[in-house]
Amino acid sequence: MISKLSIFREPAEYGDPYRNLALEKYLTFCAEPEECILYLWQNHRTVVIGKNQNPWKECPVDHLMEEDVRIARRLSGGGAVYHDTGNLNFTFCVRKQNYDLSRQLSVILEAVNSLGIPAVMTGRNDLVCEGKKFSGNAFYRSGDHCFHHGTIMADVDLERMFRYLSPDPEKLKAKGVDSVRSRVVNLKEYCPSLTIPLLGRKLEEACSGVYGLPAEDFLRERLDPDKIERDRAFFASSGWIWGRNLPFTHQIQKRFSWGDVFLQLQVNEGSIRDCVCYSDAMDQGYIESLAGRLKGLRYDRQEILASLEAMGDGTEEERRMTEDICAFLSEKLVSVKTPERDENFEKETGNERV
Amino acid sequence: MNFPEELKYSKTHEWVRFEDETTAVIGITDYAQDQLGDLVFVNLPEEGDEVTAGETFADVESVKAVSDVMSPVSGVVDAVNEELADEPQRMNQEPYEAWFIRVRDVSESEDLMTAEEYRAFTEEG
Repeated sequence: MISKLSIFREPAEYGDPYRNLALEKYLTFCAEPEECILYLWQNHRTVVIGKNQNPWKECPVDHLMEEDVRIARRLSGGGAVYHDTGNLNFTFCVRKQNYDLSRQLSVILEAVNSLGIPAVMTGRNDLVCEGKKFSGNAFYRSGDHCFHHGTIMADVDLERMFRYLSPDPEKLKAKGVDSVRSRVVNLKEYCPSLTIPLLGRKLEEACSGVYGLPAEDFLRERLDPDKIERDRAFFASSGWIWGRNLPFTHQIQKRFSWGDVFLQLQVNEGSIRDCVCYSDAMDQGYIESLAGRLKGLRYDRQEILASLEAMGDGTEEERRMTEDICAFLSEKLVSVKTPERDENFEKETGNERV
Repeated sequence: MNFPEELKYSKTHEWVRFEDETTAVIGITDYAQDQLGDLVFVNLPEEGDEVTAGETFADVESVKAVSDVMSPVSGVVDAVNEELADEPQRMNQEPYEAWFIRVRDVSESEDLMTAEEYRAFTEEG
């Protein structure tokens, strides 16, 4: 039975999704046997994908990169979501024996209902208002440790949300979990005076009410900054964000003046593991050398173009083919950059922090 | 609920079939798949990876929930059931056929239960 309720509010200077994921993991494994830790946190503009999703399949990666929107992969399952500071995230960190999804969801419902908002629960563990979703939930368990986390949309930029969660219609064949589309709504539509700090206070009160315990502040001395920093680096690493062991196939084709080209790139952990190239072009030797060139490169526009441009020698005809293919791939492929420290991202303004 | 006699079971709901003293095949139990619900994805290690008794070696995803799968033994991954990745529903349909990995050079094992002991363990809740 839960006998200790701790609240952890993310300090206002953060908003870094990788640090938040690292903290969430840390809190999950530090929860005492009869403790419930409620962690409230926010991210600057970020698309957060489920553990087993393919970022290229879920979102227009190149637009996100251009607009400095981060991509993060969480530990829990399910689909892609968009966060900005109009969104408040919650995580319940508890041991397995105290994990009670309906009780945890009732905390969120009570908090939202106390603001006069007519929210209810639906079958897919979503919370909705008049059939429109404002909170998505997902889960993680490792041994005795569990978390249940979710989003609460108070005042999210819906135009950006739709744009960032609409992938380019490319032919990607991938294993992994697909997102389920939902109609969504911001709670501010039902409660114009709603702010993130107000929502945070209501969540604390509801949590204290549901568990019948006073909410204590989580003691910062319990944190291990080195461990959290190491986990932050892990969540921000390109191996984790772009791939892990989630192979996918990118098929592209185009008709050029000199022939049809069909390219199949097999990508895993962000690298081209294999490449198949078919063409009815006269110069089959060239086509084979093209496939050989691509194999082993990172799945990254800059790297691929640089490597092809270095093919420079050869006949005039071959140089023309290379030029055509480079121009084509430059449209079809995306540059992948590794996330920098949070300071390098443009901060959002306008919303108060929790 | 089905718990074959010839298998050994861990507290974290994995089954183990020892092919000889140092070779073990691992999967998740009928009880585990029933608790997890419809499985839609599995992450498996690669051949040659090391696994450690009591530590995560794979994970499975059911509806929006990721659960780590612990290795009951320490050793080296000798074979991976790649077909499972294409048909994750097999973990629900036939959990004892749907093996995850075969481990060689098994050097250490958790305290494992017999079928009878495991049945009693799951009934305790």
